Amino acid sequence: MNLRAGLILAVLVGQLSGVRAGTEDAFTRGLEFSRAGQFPEAAAAFEKSVAAQPAAGTLVNLGLAEWQRGHAGAAILAWEQARWIDPFETRAEANLRFARQVAQVDTPQLKWFEAVSAWLPPNAWVWLAGGTLWLAVGLMVLPGILRRPKAGWQPWLAALAFGIFLFSLTANFGVLSRTQTGFVLRKNAPLRLTPTRDGEVISSVAAGEPARRLRTRGNYAFIRTLGSAGWLEQSDFGPLCPR
Amino acid sequence: MKMGNSQHSLPRRSRAPAGTFNVQRPVCAFRTVLLLLLAPFWLAAQTPPQLPSGGLMQLQMMQPTVDVSSPVTATAQFDPPIVHVGETAFYRVTLDATESSVQWPDELSTPAELKFGPKRSGQITQMQPGKFRPLASFVYEVESPVEGRFTVTNFSVEVMGARVQIPAASVSVVAKSASAPTARRLGLEISATNLFLGQPFHARVILPASSGNQVEALREIEFSGDGLMTDKTALQQFIEPVNFQGQLRNAFVAEMKVTPIAAGPLKFSAQGFSAGREFMAPISVRSQISFAGGLSQYTLLVSDPVEILVRPLPVEGELPGFTGAIGRFFRDPPRLSTNRLRVGEPLQLRLAFHGEGDLARFVPPAIPRSRDWQVIADPPPATSFTLIPLTDETSATPAIPFSYFDPRSAKYVDLTIPPQPVTVVGEGLPVELPVLKEEEKSAAPVKLSTLAPTPGKTVSSLTPLQLRGWFAAVELAPVIGFFALWQWDRRRRYLEAHPEIVRRAQARRALRREKQQLQQAVAAGDAPAFVQHAARAMSIAVAPHFPAHPRALVSGDVLAHLAGAGQAGPAAATVRQVFAAADAQYAVTPQTPPDLLALRPGVEAVLLALEEKL
Repeated sequence: MNLRAGLILAVLVGQLSGVRAGTEDAFTRGLEFSRAGQFPEAAAAFEKSVAAQPAAGTLVNLGLAEWQRGHAGAAILAWEQARWIDPFETRAEANLRFARQVAQVDTPQLKWFEAVSAWLPPNAWVWLAGGTLWLAVGLMVLPGILRRPKAGWQPWLAALAFGIFLFSLTANFGVLSRTQTGFVLRKNAPLRLTPTRDGEVISSVAAGEPARRLRTRGNYAFIRTLGSAGWLEQSDFGPLCPR
Repeated sequence: MKMGNSQHSLPRRSRAPAGTFNVQRPVCAFRTVLLLLLAPFWLAAQTPPQLPSGGLMQLQMMQPTVDVSSPVTATAQFDPPIVHVGETAFYRVTLDATESSVQWPDELSTPAELKFGPKRSGQITQMQPGKFRPLASFVYEVESPVEGRFTVTNFSVEVMGARVQIPAASVSVVAKSASAPTARRLGLEISATNLFLGQPFHARVILPASSGNQVEALREIEFSGDGLMTDKTALQQFIEPVNFQGQLRNAFVAEMKVTPIAAGPLKFSAQGFSAGREFMAPISVRSQISFAGGLSQYTLLVSDPVEILVRPLPVEGELPGFTGAIGRFFRDPPRLSTNRLRVGEPLQLRLAFHGEGDLARFVPPAIPRSRDWQVIADPPPATSFTLIPLTDETSATPAIPFSYFDPRSAKYVDLTIPPQPVTVVGEGLPVELPVLKEEEKSAAPVKLSTLAPTPGKTVSSLTPLQLRGWFAAVELAPVIGFFALWQWDRRRRYLEAHPEIVRRAQARRALRREKQQLQQAVAAGDAPAFVQHAARAMSIAVAPHFPAHPRALVSGDVLAHLAGAGQAGPAAATVRQVFAAADAQYAVTPQTPPDLLALRPGVEAVLLALEEKL
């Protein structure tokens, strides 16, 4: 029994270390390509690394490579994804401000609960919500079950935990809401009136322009930007949180 | 007789009214002169047009007028005037007017013995000294099953508002034994009779030399019958010996390409005017011939009909990119003008097709749609494309679907042009902005950051935990834990209120252990242990009823809980014996009766009875 469990654990550890080694290898190659000025190859290497394991630093470097290739939309998307993983990533934040000034595109207009959700990584909010809820419930219920006397601080701590839980609910809702946002990848991507190839073009949007995906139909997504709304080819839209 | 069968009459081409020729010519001449005068101003920087040799001379030559004002005359005759019974003669009416100006009657008054076939008609412009004169001809195939002389009486037709008399004509039908000339007719040979819709075939119209080996030209060649499209641009003319009706004779041969455009059985024949020496196009002469002198005699001749079967193209198996090409085609490997270019730079993709089909009407592949490329088809007859990359994310030209239909195998064949690898280079974006004045400085940095040396913070996926299914299951774990705790507490409180349940459960567990040890003692033949365990098991089984500790009970307590009959029966005796033997173990000199193990069935029966009450 112990032998079997050990084998399973060894296989899992081996696989994880293999994935990690492959990711780091792609990251290292991406760095080398970037330093050599081979940005298409660098972008491909960083993309491979991100596909294996998304990382904030890798996404920063991917954005730099895409920017050097002239892909403003892909670069802005990569840096936004880096901040999605780590809101304290300073390189990504600085690059986003620089890119938006050069490309003359807007910053995403977030609702208050979405702005709150950007204070911490998305997964932190869900753990915080779960932890505080069960902490509050436990503080209220367990002393009775375990027949222990309630300390005076326990109700206060439970109330505080429940308050944090309620606050984190709004942040979690903001996280879910932000998953619908994304960025236009293609330069002057046409916005169409109908979700068809021959649909009338009502306007065009710049690469890197933030947008909110409201619904999809076939190969098209109905998006709303700050100034317009229409159907955009899904391949021209890079969601912040690809599923 | 019903005349004017539309299925067998040629489609009439629209022609300008005859009277407009003389009016338009001065206007055209005036325009030509005006254009020539103004041309130097308009075409100052252009290359002068290249006229063919003698072109200017031809423009300056006076062209003869078309005579449509002279009185119209008509002739009617049977060809030949004497014919065998059952053989075909032609009733031919000729008027020197345009075909469209003649109001030909739908029915003719003809002898009942003569069987008239469908009407054929045609028109030719005959060259006369100093003028052109239109000539229209109407021809019927005539056959008679009986001998005799038959006459089609004179009648009149309306030509441009005037009545023109058609003279009477007679034909003598004689017995087959009598000598009679045969009617002059055209030959028609086709390269295939079983075809697919749109599959071109070759048709040879043959005009045999007349007596004296005199070969005449054939003009205004038409095919009667619907569902055919004739390509006269591919007309080839020969004078060569041919096998005509079993005889090798010199003949004028006109070969052209015909394409069926309707499915089903198609019956058609050829017609044309014999035109003496008026050979209108380059001609290839492959035999010794002689030409007739004098003015040309224009006679509308027809051929026997031929029949072809045209099948529609199969719908099953049609491949993408089929543009109607039928035959057998091949293509050279596609050639690119370059394989490395920038976004927005044009690239030419050259394609070359060869084959056995109709390359003159070959329709090149349709323009493929691609979001990464702007594709422009080069003007025909070129079969090349100009491609402009719209993004540097593409690494190959778009595939160009193309297929053709092979009539031999009756299958579609894929000839798609595969994607050609190219490298498209994009335009970079600035990585650093010029430093602005202090008052114009914005919060944005002036250049991009450096590379991140490490991957930094990692996650397993960009999808947040809230949207992952397994995380919902993890969130349920505390719920399950708290529910289990609540159930445990509830059970605990219940047992606290009902302690006998706990005692009975404990007694049952202890009884099971004692019975196991009892069995082990029996198996080992250990009589003292056997009686000890039997007595203890009986005490345990009755202890919850008092309640009391099992060690505090004696045989009387056990007997009290045996059923009424058992208290005086063998069960009671067994209980007493067991307890007596167990108590004897504590004597100063323990003595164990040798047959204690024989009590086993009785002990088991007692324990079973007590356990049922537990």
